Amino acid sequence: MTFLKNFVNVLSVASISFILLSAVFAFVVYFNLLDGRIKSKGGIGFIVFGAVLIVAGLFVTPLLYCGIAYFICLWGLVKMGSRLWELKVGLWLLIGGAFAFALSLLDPNFYLIAAKPDNVPIGAMIFLLGIFTWIALRKAYINDKQIALGGMTFEKTESNEKLFVWPDLVYTEMLCMIVLTIIMIVWSVGLRAPLEEAANPTSSPNPAKAPWYFLGLQEMLVYFDPWLAGVVLPTLIIVGLMAIPYIDTNPKGNGYYSFRERKWEIGVFLYGFIVLWSFLIITGTFLRGPNWNFFGPYEYWDPNKLEPLVNIDLSELIWVKALAMPLPKLWIIRESFGLILVILYLGLAPAMAKGPFRRFYLKMGGPRYYVGAYLFLTMLSLPIKMVLRWLFNLKYIVHIQEIFFNI
Amino acid sequence: MKPQEPIPHNYEMRKLNLIFALTSLGLLLVTGIMVGYDYVRGWKWFQLEFNRIQEERIEQELKAKNDATTRGRLAEIDRGTRAAQVEIAKNRDAYLDAQKVLDEWEGKHYAADQDYRFAKATLDAQRYVYEASVVQHRSDQKEQQGKFDELTARVHNLNLRLQQATRDRDAARARVDKFLTRIKELEDKKKALTADAELLNKQLEAVSARSKRMVLNAPMLDFINPTLKIDQVVLNDLFIDMNYMVVPRVDRCMTCHRAIDRPGFESKKEAERLAGELQRELDANRIQPSKRAETEEKVASLRRLVDAPRDIPNPFRTHPKLDVFVGSASPHPILEYGCTVCHRGQDRATEFGRAGHTPMSLRMERRWQKVKFPLFPGSWDYKQRNWGYEVNPFLETPMYPRQYTEAGCLKCHAGQVDVREGEKINKATHMVELYGCHACHKISNWRFTGLQKPGPSLEGIAEKTTPAWAVRWISNPNHFRPTTRMPSFFYQRNMIGPAVPAREREQNVRYQDAEIHSIVTYLFDRSTRRQWNAGPQGDAGRGKQLVESIGCMGCHIAQDTVKDAKSGAMRVARRDDFPLERHFGFNLTGVGTKTNPAWIFNWVKNPKAYDKLAPMPSLRLSDSEAADITAYLMTLQKPKFMEEPLRAPTASAVRELAKSYLIGTMTDNEADAKLRAMPVREQMLYLGQRSIEKYGCYSCHDIKGFDGLKPIGTELTIEGSKTLHLFDFGFVHEYQHEEGHKEHILHNVPSWIYNKVRSPRVYDDERTKPYNDKLKMPNFHLSEEEGRLVTMVVLGLTKEKVAANRLAANDARMRAIEEERKIISQRNCRACHVVNHTGRAIAPMIADSNFLPPDLTPQGGRAQSPWLFNFLKDPTVMKIRPWLSVRMPTFGFNDHDAATLVAGFAAEGNGPQFDTHRFETPAQQNVAVGREVFAMLRCAQCHSVAPVDPANPPVPNVADAQSLAPNLTLSKLRLRHEWIADWIRRPGEMIPDTRMPANFPRDPETGGFRSPLAAAIDTPAFAAQKAALLPYFESEEALRKTMGDAVALTNYLRDYIWSIGINQMRNAGTTPEGPAPQQQPTSPPVPALQTGEVERRPLRAPDVGGRSGRRSTTQTRR
Repeated sequence: MTFLKNFVNVLSVASISFILLSAVFAFVVYFNLLDGRIKSKGGIGFIVFGAVLIVAGLFVTPLLYCGIAYFICLWGLVKMGSRLWELKVGLWLLIGGAFAFALSLLDPNFYLIAAKPDNVPIGAMIFLLGIFTWIALRKAYINDKQIALGGMTFEKTESNEKLFVWPDLVYTEMLCMIVLTIIMIVWSVGLRAPLEEAANPTSSPNPAKAPWYFLGLQEMLVYFDPWLAGVVLPTLIIVGLMAIPYIDTNPKGNGYYSFRERKWEIGVFLYGFIVLWSFLIITGTFLRGPNWNFFGPYEYWDPNKLEPLVNIDLSELIWVKALAMPLPKLWIIRESFGLILVILYLGLAPAMAKGPFRRFYLKMGGPRYYVGAYLFLTMLSLPIKMVLRWLFNLKYIVHIQEIFFNI
Repeated sequence: MKPQEPIPHNYEMRKLNLIFALTSLGLLLVTGIMVGYDYVRGWKWFQLEFNRIQEERIEQELKAKNDATTRGRLAEIDRGTRAAQVEIAKNRDAYLDAQKVLDEWEGKHYAADQDYRFAKATLDAQRYVYEASVVQHRSDQKEQQGKFDELTARVHNLNLRLQQATRDRDAARARVDKFLTRIKELEDKKKALTADAELLNKQLEAVSARSKRMVLNAPMLDFINPTLKIDQVVLNDLFIDMNYMVVPRVDRCMTCHRAIDRPGFESKKEAERLAGELQRELDANRIQPSKRAETEEKVASLRRLVDAPRDIPNPFRTHPKLDVFVGSASPHPILEYGCTVCHRGQDRATEFGRAGHTPMSLRMERRWQKVKFPLFPGSWDYKQRNWGYEVNPFLETPMYPRQYTEAGCLKCHAGQVDVREGEKINKATHMVELYGCHACHKISNWRFTGLQKPGPSLEGIAEKTTPAWAVRWISNPNHFRPTTRMPSFFYQRNMIGPAVPAREREQNVRYQDAEIHSIVTYLFDRSTRRQWNAGPQGDAGRGKQLVESIGCMGCHIAQDTVKDAKSGAMRVARRDDFPLERHFGFNLTGVGTKTNPAWIFNWVKNPKAYDKLAPMPSLRLSDSEAADITAYLMTLQKPKFMEEPLRAPTASAVRELAKSYLIGTMTDNEADAKLRAMPVREQMLYLGQRSIEKYGCYSCHDIKGFDGLKPIGTELTIEGSKTLHLFDFGFVHEYQHEEGHKEHILHNVPSWIYNKVRSPRVYDDERTKPYNDKLKMPNFHLSEEEGRLVTMVVLGLTKEKVAANRLAANDARMRAIEEERKIISQRNCRACHVVNHTGRAIAPMIADSNFLPPDLTPQGGRAQSPWLFNFLKDPTVMKIRPWLSVRMPTFGFNDHDAATLVAGFAAEGNGPQFDTHRFETPAQQNVAVGREVFAMLRCAQCHSVAPVDPANPPVPNVADAQSLAPNLTLSKLRLRHEWIADWIRRPGEMIPDTRMPANFPRDPETGGFRSPLAAAIDTPAFAAQKAALLPYFESEEALRKTMGDAVALTNYLRDYIWSIGINQMRNAGTTPEGPAPQQQPTSPPVPALQTGEVERRPLRAPDVGGRSGRRSTTQTRR
């Protein structure tokens, strides 16, 4: 049991779990949703990735754990194939998840976090997130299968049926209402309102966490400068979400679930929402402890734990470490490497327009394409920065103290 | 309409209906559970249980009231009533006749009354008509006038008739009443006898009305008028500071602690104590006669409590000492103070865990935690005393564990030296003052500012002792002197304890040796080297007698071993074997090993010559006395101590430690170079200076060159408010204490502090720290009780502010008294004197109680301020009791201190400081009468009335009982005018063990004083005096009356004593006194070693009007 707990603790480390999550997400999209094959180029690519993890894991043990977990997930997903979307399998996955959660509650450290009245709804929401994503993807998969066979989507089939409002709608709604009321009452009686001591300005709690809907941002603060993580990126998220209807010109998928017909849109959104945003929130809630140090879910929140913070800027890496020169005084020279990298990164959009994404460029037109592309690039900058931080302890790519601008 | 075809439903209706039914039942169930949780509250069980206990108690009391004697008397009364009724029956006819006559007369009276009233009304109406006709000049004036006159006459007649009827009726009634008086008397007697029982019955009814209660407290109906409700006290001015606003304190403790302010539910121990106290008061006739019966009843009731089979369980007990706390007549009534002001805790909580109850010990914590509260706590849980304990991690002010309750006194009583009824907190603050916690830890509190340093001055250490002794002493003070106040700094558990790895231990020992030797080298290098001349040779035997008789034993102990109370064998003495006052001066055993005869001789003759600020007073010893004492003290040796081997310091250790300080300001290489250039002795001097700074020796001792440095300990001013997470528990939860047993550290603040003061370095266990970062607090080797008391003080120092009108002792009179008491505490007056009912530590040392120093409790009302001032300055101005071998020393008070003492005593006496009675001459006849009374009462048997020189009175023959009373000619200068009469009347009440007889004993019935002369004046023995007195009175009757009036007699006595008093005494000021406080040190400042250290702060400017003692550096202005 202790070994299993340690295994999970190590797996939960932000870097490891993010890699695992991204890779498994990609595999699910490729294999289970798009019916990819192992024996194809894509499939081989996934296996090679796993092998790289194992090999690297011989030097860095956490990667070994990651590789093992990765292959276990792959094996499971391959075994299930398209049956992943069957109701029975879904139910078993749900039961399995709930069982694992309940078993984890036996661990006192995990219990302290998960059973805290503030965090109980978050745990519930994680389950709900999983359930509804799975349901949606299942419906999409079924529809895709139907469409491939040339038939109608099930929404169309269903919309030919007629039902009475009473009792089929209203009666069942009332039953749901009663059941929900029971759940609410039991919840409020069972879990006390989390009232703590009166706020004392001289004594801040450790860790001082934001509410769950801001924990994603608070977690981003680890990787980004506050200006970016607190102002620019949230604004772009909101603006981007508002802009989606204007960027997305795909007429397919209106009123019915489908994955194949909206691969990119759904894929990008799911990646951004689940793998980036929800992952950050889960990390912020369960895996961040005193002093915002990382703690595995079964690890004791020791306020005295000290991890060396030896993060280094790109400019320092290049000038001081590699070239053994003092940092130049003028920021334009000092940050030239970082600035060039950023410009190159931003230049990816027009480059892609000429190359792999030409199709999109033509379809959407210039303005739409560029707006969408830059939003996409900004979104991707988060995982890129995270990976750079984990691999190279990179603090800032561009660090301009003089005008308080850092990337 | 077209018939519609059946449309298929999506769901089966029957299934849906079933689900509806089940979920509705579920909702009902869950709602029931919710109401249940809301309604079933723990505190309701406590109130119900208390009702049950109350019932039991009332029934117990009723049973006692209904005992045999009462029953007998009631039966008697009933018999009497029946007899009276039989009487009436015998004269039944007469009675009936009388009754009939009465009825007739009642009727007649009623009629007469009505006639009269109606006639009067008609008359008034007629008057109006008549006057109207006169005013309006009508023609029928005459007519109306006639009618008016007629009616007037009629009314008059009717009135007479009414009066007659009334008289007749009253007579008839009297006749009837004659039959009934006896019965009425008996009924009144019965009512008086059963009054108490009636009351109890009513109470019983109120408490046990069951069915009514069930309805009133039912779940949905209990908003109307429930019998079970939350009981609270709202205190607006004792607010709680919530950091951004203040909220009123709302104490709800009495919701469960129902009987906390009700007498009658004491624990057995408390009932025993209270019964004993009341019985003593009854026996000493101190209760007013009207209240005697009540008090006796109370004692009986308490005794019944003690004899009851079971103790009243907590939380239903009455608060102990209801007359001091909580009771409505106490200084802290519960309606004005609540509970949490003293006990802390969450005021508004109504559950055991949330209220912040803190267990006293690990065992108690385990007992409370044994069973976790189930999901739905029920009465069976409470019956098993499972209170549902949980630690509330967010509560910043949990309750004090019971052993530290008196910590709560300090927030209001910190301006007092003596808190009445606060023995523990008084001892605790005295201990903190004596052991000198305030010296290293700043406490910005009146009680602990402006105090002298607890240790002797080290500026002249080379004159007093030798480096060999000093090194051994500092290494382990307890070894030389088991009762010392000096703590152990070195070789503690974080240096050589079991948790320290072996290799580090060896290095620590080397470092500690180096530090000790360096400190001693530094001190002796910087010491003055005055020459003290040895005195003449003395006799050790005489010296021993002197030491034991002139008063040294009040402040000093001279023994190392005591007889164990339990086993009877001799064992090593501990500090708590002696009262605190006797630790003021150091334990004299071994003093011969420590120092040399020349120093001792000069010290006992004049301590201030060695150290201007020494607290030791001068006993005005002659040379031969001082020589004798020196000879005796030199015999108190401890040669084995000096024979113990000393480890010499290693040069490498000195160098490494010196380097560790140097590299704070220079590089490694520079430090090495510097050290290579310094000879070892210079290195040791440098290391000594830095070590003295490190360990803070200057906080307790005056050391040249260290004036004005800040104390090194944590500031404790608001330590009691520090939240738990700021205390560093380290890795230790239990440890082996040096006394041998295992100590557990509970995870709360009191436990942290208790273990810290008992074993200061324990939180370093199993930690890796560089040498200079290790914990430095020295080990005071506190016993468990001492540790608890010190913890109590620290817990009581909080940041809570109390409004000025709630602070104790905040008026001018009390401030004067407290300032006086502070000086008394600082100069250790209680070593010899009783002050405010406590003290006189020297008492066990003096066999005959007649030779004890006087009780100063009544001193305020007794002594005149000019005399007191002079006496304090120089006790030789008046020797009131020349038979005492214990002598009042010359303390060398400066003017400020002496004036404070005098003002304080005057305030205690509730009188003006100065008066002009001294210049009055009493009336001649008063003096004459007084003289005769003086003769009759034979005062001269003990009191001499021959005028003497107060500074040199004749030494009496102490075998002669007559000579052991003060000479009365001294009274005019010394005693207050009004006090003399009061003293003569009630000496035993003022000073319980005085030899002065009570010539005017108290009369238990009136509470006044009885005069023995009332009867005695007529006896033949006093015939002469009677004859002498008669001319001054109008008549013999008047004389007799005066002889029976104690107040008058004592006034005459006073006037007589006033008339024989002397008018002049020597003033103080001709003997040398202590130095004025504004003296700068005269020696040049020590040149700082040029080793790159931070520049020292300049010498602090002295306070204006400061104290005459040595001040610790934590003084703040007030």
